[in-house]
This record gives sequence, structure tokens and C-alpha cells, in this order.
Amino acid sequence: MTITLTVNGVRRDVEIAAGETLLEVLRRIGYKSVKKGCGSGDCGACAVLLDGRAVNSCLCLAAKTDGREVVTIEGLATEGNLHVLQEAFLSEGAVQCGYCTPGMLIAAADLLSHIPDPSEEEIRQAISGNLCRCTGYVKQIEAIRVAAERMRGTDDG
Amino acid sequence: MGLDRIKDVVKPTSLDEAISLLRERGPSAGLLGGGVSLVRYAPAHLTTLIDLSALPIDYVKEDAGCVRIGAATTLRDILDHPLLAGYLDGVIVKMLRQVASPLLRNLATIGGALVSADPWSDIITLFLALGARVAVYDGESASLPLAEIYPTRSRLGGAILTEVVLPAPLPGAAAAFCKFNRTGFDIAVLNCACQVQLQDERCVVASVVIGGTPRLATSIPEVEDILTGRPLTGETIEQAAAAARDAAGVREDRRASAEYRRQLVLVGVGRCLRQIKDDLVGRDR
Repeated sequence: MTITLTVNGVRRDVEIAAGETLLEVLRRIGYKSVKKGCGSGDCGACAVLLDGRAVNSCLCLAAKTDGREVVTIEGLATEGNLHVLQEAFLSEGAVQCGYCTPGMLIAAADLLSHIPDPSEEEIRQAISGNLCRCTGYVKQIEAIRVAAERMRGTDDG
Repeated sequence: MGLDRIKDVVKPTSLDEAISLLRERGPSAGLLGGGVSLVRYAPAHLTTLIDLSALPIDYVKEDAGCVRIGAATTLRDILDHPLLAGYLDGVIVKMLRQVASPLLRNLATIGGALVSADPWSDIITLFLALGARVAVYDGESASLPLAEIYPTRSRLGGAILTEVVLPAPLPGAAAAFCKFNRTGFDIAVLNCACQVQLQDERCVVASVVIGGTPRLATSIPEVEDILTGRPLTGETIEQAAAAARDAAGVREDRRASAEYRRQLVLVGVGRCLRQIKDDLVGRDR
């Protein structure tokens, strides 16, 4: 079957198998930032924004996404400039092996688009579905806080 | 994996169309809500999926004090909805924050959570305590108590669960939910929900439900009898919690021993009832 998917602002017709997941389709058509970790919705490495909300793409059937909008972290950066969240993850040292980073950024992007000034508790909640086995989450939480601050600064200016 | 056998995904736009598809395709057809359960445990006999996402069953609305929630509404949309924040001091919101992760809550639907009938379901434990009803459609609509469809764990035999209805909160009632789990987003080792209505400072309605025992969630009528007619004092709460511990049918599995679960029943029922007492006292101030 064919579905029409808007990925990172680009509309495309994609031929899919009826039982394929969004994760499988996205990786097949070239979005390799979307990682397969557990395949069962536990780790969050496969998170993408679906109509603006972070979801586990490993548990989302591609057939259900016909006509909808997907954003991967390839789509967070604009014109070669990293997104504020990506910059903050770098400046705050929130990246170690990097495997969980795309999913973590997507979960954080969902959070900040709905809550521009999140509390630490809200940040912890927002990334509670993203496992990181390198760190203790301290740097990511700090990076998301810093990104929120910078984004609010930009909006105010 | 079962998903390789899926040949077709169809998206009906009306309930009648969905029902005729279900009848036409027979046992090889399954209903697709959020999909989080189905993608992990797709039964091998399924070759067609009927996607419910184009049906007009994605809503949260108030109706004569009841809250009606369409079966295709995601847990996230319920969590964010102002009607639920105001329902019995936000007890549903507090419970949903403990269900899975935000990523999963953005996909999972309330209908899927109810028909999956998982014994550890936090949603089912609380909804049973609140006396929720469900609407099912098989060409005609019928309303049933959740407590009636849940223990059979049936796939509703060719009908579609379209809505869950939370009754209008009783005057002077409060409810509480308590979950024990090993990590932040693990399923419950045990969960517990209570609702109490006070009239003239005495309990007139009490429901106490325990889930993840690890069998199906169930009410404990012995405790409800103890509470009924008595004031909700510290002493009553202690007696009720001890009675719940003694009466609850708990077993062991790989998550916990029966003895540990028994202790959790005591603690859980005690916490819920104390929370309810505090909420009701707080409201009077």
C-alpha cells in the first residue's frame, strides 16, 4: 500500500507493507537518526514527532500515519544551524555514546513546544520514556533547562 | 512476528462501515486503536486491521455531570483535558501520569487500554472504583458497566467499544489511586483505588479495588461493608486496610511474592483512604 507522509516538511509518497512500523519505514527511506533499541516501547530511541507529539515509532504502524506529519531530528536543524536543544545538549555535555540522543531531543522538543518554562519535575517526566545507559540524566535535564531558557530569551527578544 | 501476516489496513469513516468490515472479514480481522498492544502481540491469525482513527470517537466531553471519553482518545489528550483536572480532585490525571511513559501515552488510546484488560492496568483499577460504564456498538449501541465486560476479557464478540463514561461525581465523594512498581514506568506490582462518599460524616458508598494481584483487578466487598455506615476515622481506615489485606486474593509471580503483595494491599488501601479523608477535610475548609 502507498501512504503520503510529510517528513521534516517534505511531502512524499511511500510504498509500505501493511504490517510495517513507522520506525522501519523511516529508516528504510533514509532517516537513520531514528534508532531501533528495544522494539517494544521501553527505551525511546525511536522517538519521532507525529503531528507535533513525541511517540515511539517502533509501536506505531506506518499505515496509521497516512496524511500525517513526522519530524525526526534531521528536521530540527534549520538551514544548517542546529536547533537550540541540539546546541544545549552539546554545550552542557549531555551526549555520551549518542544512541539515545535523537529520541531524547524529540521528547524534549515535544515538552518545550507545550511547556516553554518546565520545572525539573516536568523535564524528568517528559524524558521518562527515554533510557540512557551512559549517564545519570543530570546533563540532559540541565541541557533541556538551558535550551528552554535560551528559547524563551529568543521569543522575548 | 504476527505483523508480517498483515495484508491490509482499512480505515472506515463510520461505525456502521467498521462493523460491516468486521463481519465481512470474520476472525482474520482485528481492530486497530493506538496499536501499542497490537504491534507487540499481534495474534497470528490476523490478516486485516480495521483502523479506528477516522471514526468520530476521539473526544472528551461533559454530559449532565458525566465525563464521556471517546474510545480512540489518547491517554495524553485525556491527561491534558481540563474536564479531567476538575474531576474528583484530578484523581484520573494523577493516575495517568503514572501510566507508561509520555511517548506511549501519545499513542495509546483509552479504548485500547480497556479492551486489553491487562490485570495490572492502573486505568482499569481506578475506573472500576469510579463505577465507569462503557458503550459498545454492534449495529446498535449498548451501555454496560466496565465491571461487566472486564472479567470476561473478551474482545467484545464483534462489537466495538466506542466510549467510556465516568459518572457524575457523587456529592461528598472523593477517590484516590495508589500504585506500587519497581521502576518509574514499570507495570504495577500491585495497584489500588478507592472511592468513598460521606453523608453526615458517615460512609454511604465505598468501593475498594485491587489490581495486579497479579490476577484481574477486583473489588473487595468485605472492606466496602466495613466502611459503610461508619465515619472515616483513623481507626476505621486501619481496620479497613487490615481487612483488605486479609481478604485480597493475592498470588506470587516473578514481580513479587504473595506475602509481599498482601502487605502492599494493607499499605495501599490505607494510603488511598487517608488521601480521601484529607481531600474531604480539605474541601470543608
